[in-house]
Amino acid sequence: MKALEKLDSHLQSRLTDLNKLKEKQKIIGYTAGGYFPEELALACNAIPVCFIQAGNNNILRDAGAYVCRWFDPFWRSQIGYLTSGRDPYYNIADLIVVPITDNHVRVFSNTLGYYTPEKESFVFGVPHVKDKLALEYYHKGIIRLRKKLEEFTGSEITDDKLRQSIALCNRERELFRKISLMRKSGSSSISSKDFIKLNHASFLADKEFMIEILEMYMQEAGETAPRTESGTALLFTGSTIARDDYKVMDIIEESGGNIIIEEFAEGIRPYWNSVNTEGSLMKNLAESYFMDRVCAGWFRPGTERLNFLIRLAKDYNTDGLIWYHLMFRESYKVESHFFPDMLKKETGIPMFVLESEYDDMEKGPMRTRIETFLETIKR
Amino acid sequence: MKQYYDDLFSLCGFEDEEINNERFRIKATLEKLELGPEDMERADSWVRQYHDVSLMGVRKLLGAWLKELIDLVLAKEDGKKIVYYGFPAILGPGLMLSASSDKVFVSAPDMVLDHTMGQIFNKLTPILEAGEANGLPPGHAMCSLWQAKIGGVVKGMIPVPDFALASSYYCDMGSKADDLVTAFYGTPMAYIDGIMDSHWGDFPDFLPERVEYLGGQINQALKKAEDVLGIKIAPDAWEKSQENSKQFRGYLVRLVELMKADPVPLSVVELELLEALSGSSAGRGIREGIKAMEILVKELEERVKAGIGVTEKGAPRVMVRLGHTSDPRVTRLLEDCGLAVPLTFILGSFGGVRVEPKGTYNTPGEIIANYEMTGGYYHGTEAQIQFYEKAAGIMRLDGFVAQYLYNCRPVATISHAQKKYLEEKTGLPVLSLEIDNFDSRTHSADSLRTKVETFAEMLKAKKHK
Repeated sequence: MKALEKLDSHLQSRLTDLNKLKEKQKIIGYTAGGYFPEELALACNAIPVCFIQAGNNNILRDAGAYVCRWFDPFWRSQIGYLTSGRDPYYNIADLIVVPITDNHVRVFSNTLGYYTPEKESFVFGVPHVKDKLALEYYHKGIIRLRKKLEEFTGSEITDDKLRQSIALCNRERELFRKISLMRKSGSSSISSKDFIKLNHASFLADKEFMIEILEMYMQEAGETAPRTESGTALLFTGSTIARDDYKVMDIIEESGGNIIIEEFAEGIRPYWNSVNTEGSLMKNLAESYFMDRVCAGWFRPGTERLNFLIRLAKDYNTDGLIWYHLMFRESYKVESHFFPDMLKKETGIPMFVLESEYDDMEKGPMRTRIETFLETIKR
Repeated sequence: MKQYYDDLFSLCGFEDEEINNERFRIKATLEKLELGPEDMERADSWVRQYHDVSLMGVRKLLGAWLKELIDLVLAKEDGKKIVYYGFPAILGPGLMLSASSDKVFVSAPDMVLDHTMGQIFNKLTPILEAGEANGLPPGHAMCSLWQAKIGGVVKGMIPVPDFALASSYYCDMGSKADDLVTAFYGTPMAYIDGIMDSHWGDFPDFLPERVEYLGGQINQALKKAEDVLGIKIAPDAWEKSQENSKQFRGYLVRLVELMKADPVPLSVVELELLEALSGSSAGRGIREGIKAMEILVKELEERVKAGIGVTEKGAPRVMVRLGHTSDPRVTRLLEDCGLAVPLTFILGSFGGVRVEPKGTYNTPGEIIANYEMTGGYYHGTEAQIQFYEKAAGIMRLDGFVAQYLYNCRPVATISHAQKKYLEEKTGLPVLSLEIDNFDSRTHSADSLRTKVETFAEMLKAKKHK
């Protein structure tokens, strides 16, 4: 598709472009998870960039100098990239913002603060429960973030600017939502890998350019003939799907699986809801980014997300669910024990668990297991 | 008539009269725990080998753990409403519930199982395996305390709780494993949520909203407990809940003074027994523990006067995080290698470094939260490491054995930073030691020996230069 080609070209020159833009604008790097409202950075004329690279086991060796092995490899990758400078987006960021969710993110935040104090950073907490107190805490966190960004960029975030930024981001979310819904038939020409790559690109690309690309992509997808052989319809879910962590998706596709819907806490932008542009905008951002979005697996209880998965499985008429979490992300591991029964009871479909530490050696056993799972479903 | 368990219980500080009065309960407990005459013989040998039973205070401490175990195992039969909390925990809420009604039994059951089925009976493995088979599999760095708790419940050794207080302010695993209990048994729970979102360099400062949030969560949890358990939190519950704690802490302060002696008068194996009790029991265990400490402190005063210790005089002195909760061999290794351990993190925090909360709060939740934030343990990683530095000032130390629990993410965050920080700030050598503090199957004493021995030899050489 032309949209994807155009996007690739944009990303290839993105770092060079950012280096030029850096002379006039601040670059705000932030960590994955979907709790950083990009609107705040955009409203003070800064450029938000999310650290989303991972999938290569080699970087974990770099991280090993700063933390033990027993953390999620995505977050160890971030430690590796931060300290080695091997992800240039870390080098280009003027300020690094870390919304702290669970202890895997916290260990990254500690490394940032202790080992790389020369990098300016800002942290704020994301509660693990959804209630009035928690919403208020998150709300206060993003108010502090707003103040920090205003001071750091020297640009006041007015209501008008914030409203414009929200409208821009709402448009992006809306387009992702529409593209996702186009896949409901199961025979859409939109592949899951393309959808995820679009998401990853949206964390790095210029916002307005990205919206153009999404519009173009949607139009092209609508004009492309549906697939005649659609494969086994799958729901793909888990903790994190990083940029360049595509091996599981490749194996699933090669084995005859067809992922038609995904849910990931880190790596996919929460796109199901829009932010209200009326009334208190900061409160609206808190409502949308914290309360309205589907919670991640480390929330307690995790029932909201599990019920959402059941709904997705039904709405998208899937034949099976592949649960892909990264090693040592304990919240997901524990849920993967009791969710299969819930899912089976509510939808009748089976669930299959895959775990990864970004090791190439995993490919062979993964392929055998995925093929077996898909064969089981066909029978 | 004498029974097969009498000798062991007597060794563990039970008076004959106590054994006679509790015969029915002891028997019922041992049956539920699948412990028979052969287990008593093995336990007798195990306790004599690894605990300092020449001290009556130590024997009484073991007895306090056994009494807590009996009350835990039989809590349902006793008609109690059972509340479990996760370890480590902000103790205030659990203590307040316990102080509000005689009908409520509050405990950290995993710690009780570790200290009894592990430290006394050396039979924890089947319980851990049951936990592994029920949602917390091996090979994934899952918390072995939680494996013990789930295993104990699944095997029917300890009762299913009526209510759970989840430590959502500290670890992610604990709250998720509480979800597992709910999935299995429908147990209602209150998540006491908090976020350790300190920026490096913040400590000792913290934002007031951290106290407001954590405090509000504690208040909500207490309210929910009232509804679920059908009790009212007594107006003086906070004050009452502090009665035992104050006494216990008082003894810990005296103990810190005694541990300054050279040679150190008490093994860290026994130190762990008493430290952990205060974080695990809100009932008979802690009350009996206080009596045991009274005896123990007097015995240690005698030892200090006589110059008796558990290592040679002049042995290198190191601080550790804490002793092993279920396998005394791992803790004993330090002393076997010739290291004296006068101080642990817990002893330092309870009896050494003074914490003076700032600000004034009116609700129980906020008062508790303010204290915890000031103390630092639930503030963030930096606060924990700084605590070692401060505590080290209490004792004349020669080094640190800075353990980190590989399967406890909040502790594992300090795996590398604590060594660098402490070496730079104190100039003392630091051994960074990966351990599983609750399960010795993968991190046994033998697997750690080479590292500890080498470090000990280095310290000895340095000291004798």
